[in-house]
Formats: sequence, C-alpha cells, structure tokens
Amino acid sequence: MKVTLISIPVRDQEKALKFYTEKLGFLKKKDAPLGGGNRWLTLVSPEWQDGPELLLEPAPNHFEPCKVFQDALMEAGFPYTQFDVENVDAEYDRLIKLGVEFSVKPTEMGTAKFAVFNDTCGNNIQIVEML
Amino acid sequence: MTFYESKIKHIKNSCFSNDKQIQTVIGIKNYIDNNYESDLNLELLSHAKFVSKFHMLRLFKKYYGLTPRQYLIDKRIYKSKELLTNGASVTETCFAVGFESLGSFSTLFKTKTGKSPIDFKKRATFKK
Repeated sequence: MKVTLISIPVRDQEKALKFYTEKLGFLKKKDAPLGGGNRWLTLVSPEWQDGPELLLEPAPNHFEPCKVFQDALMEAGFPYTQFDVENVDAEYDRLIKLGVEFSVKPTEMGTAKFAVFNDTCGNNIQIVEML
Repeated sequence: MTFYESKIKHIKNSCFSNDKQIQTVIGIKNYIDNNYESDLNLELLSHAKFVSKFHMLRLFKKYYGLTPRQYLIDKRIYKSKELLTNGASVTETCFAVGFESLGSFSTLFKTKTGKSPIDFKKRATFKK
C-alpha cells in the first residue's frame, strides 16, 4: 500500500481551487466530473509533482457530520492538516501580502516553527518548518 | 486564545521547555545538514556538540522522532534524487552524497524510493 492522497473537506471546490493554486501555489493535477457539479479535484506541490496529491473534497456539502466536525475544528482553532515549508517567516510574509488571514503567527515550539492560517473554505491550515 | 493555542502551550511547557537541549539537537541537525556528504558518525556528531554519544542519540530521537542515522540517510537520499534529476551519473551521485560503495547506495536507494538510482534517473530526465 502507498500513501498518495490527503483529502481536505471544502465547502466550494471552485473557490478552494483558486485559493490553493493562486495563493498557496499548488498545481492542479486531476479534475474529473463526478455528477451533481462535484469533481475529483486534486493538486500537487510544484516542486514535488509526482508526490502525494491533495484532494479538495466537497464532503461538508453532502455529509452533515463532516460539516459539524469541520466547524468544530475551525471554532477551536485546530488545523485540519499541515504542509511543510522551507521558511515559515518568509511564507507568512508572502501570504499576508496576498491577504491570507493567520490565527497563529510564526511560533517556535521545540525543534519546529509553525503558523496557522484560514483557507477560506472552512479549514485552518498549519505550515511547518523543521528547525 | 483558541483551544488549539492552549493545547500547544501545554505541550510546549511539558515537552519543549528545555532550551539548552533543544538548541543542542538543532545544532546537531544543522551539522548533519551541512556535512551529510562527509563520513559522519555518532562520535563525530557528539564531539561537534560536546555531548556524550548516547545522550546525543537519545536527545535527537526525543525531539525529532528518529535517530541521527535515519535522518542522515533520508537527507542523503533526498539530495541524491536532486542530483540524479539534474543529470549527475549514479556513481557521481553516490560519492557526492557521502556513500562509500555503489552497491550499498543502490540497495538503500531502492529500499527508500522503490526504484533503483538508474531507473529513477531515467524517469526523472525523461519527464524533463
């Protein structure tokens, strides 16, 4: 078995596609219709295009418990998932300029530095740098 | 403060309060990052940071979740993928990232990536 996919629940796939590609810089890899306006929509990192794919999944619109869970995480400030970056401070500055809202500014914890932002699609996302 | 931030604060206080230890292991990790291509061993790493060999091993594992050896191997494999993608030969790559024999490099590379260095190189350069 291989780990090839992580899924992120989003309320609006098109909005999520714009945010994750235009602001975060991911590339669209797969985009196939699944009926009812839903898509199998995956993204990859530009520097690791054969790496794991990020699935932007419209689950909260179709399965109420997913929406409840997502809202609870958002309310408590918990990140839904995290991405590695080379430099958290530089990425924070870059994203702030693009209007991205952070709930946790770059913070050191032990051998890691992290920050948390709002993906505008219902999730907090954490970026992490290993020190 | 959100619930998440309060949890983070709690973890920070209970697991990451020893700054001296943290600075030591970060120093060891940086040392590996800057010297991965040389003949690194535990003795050398502990001497570089003035701590005993086993203490250093324990600390590194405690904070990074893997041993310095595992970290070093991952670093070398990561770097060798970069070199192979950029056109270096398998032999050049092997010695450039600090392996001493082509056989052990190829075996380890295949175990870690699922492909032999030559197959990896063919695919990587074909994609370009």
